[in-house]
Amino acid sequence: MIGVGILGLLVGMVIDRYLAGTVVYLLGAWIGGGIAFAAPRVSDSRLQDERDYELHNRASGLAMGITMALGIGIVPPLYVLDAGGYVELTGAAGGGILVASALFLLYGFCFGLVQRGA
Amino acid sequence: MRNDLSTRRADEGLSQGELADAVDVTRQTINAIERDRYDPSLELAFELAAYFDCHIEDIFDPSLD
Repeated sequence: MIGVGILGLLVGMVIDRYLAGTVVYLLGAWIGGGIAFAAPRVSDSRLQDERDYELHNRASGLAMGITMALGIGIVPPLYVLDAGGYVELTGAAGGGILVASALFLLYGFCFGLVQRGA
Repeated sequence: MRNDLSTRRADEGLSQGELADAVDVTRQTINAIERDRYDPSLELAFELAAYFDCHIEDIFDPSLD
């Protein structure tokens, strides 16, 4: 459903029907998300277990590791080079850095939250 | 950690899904354990040992890693 929503959004952009595309996207995203949320609760069959939790844990660690490595290894020099006039940080690049930083902080917040409850 | 889960399961005439249902995990987890791609939690190892009425070390052998 989420894939259908994304497809609807893209098609809407291509055929210049932005509102219709957005509506299709929202329907797909919310219905798909609702199914993903509800399926484990109404299904008798086990959809996830300890192995999946470990995979999530490792994937989360890998994602955070990559984000941290890029954040430490690339972002500060980019800002320095931008300040020195050697490169120009575009708005999109700046936005991407802000989003990645926000996600990293959100992860840290969630980690702290879970840690307090554990 | 090596194990002989697939042999024990086959001896009992069980499918991976049936064993998974018996110990309350997904079939993919049983498959991953049998292929030595996942080491189960202590809780699941106890569940498996209890199901086959043996000790954990009868199924799992860390020295064969």
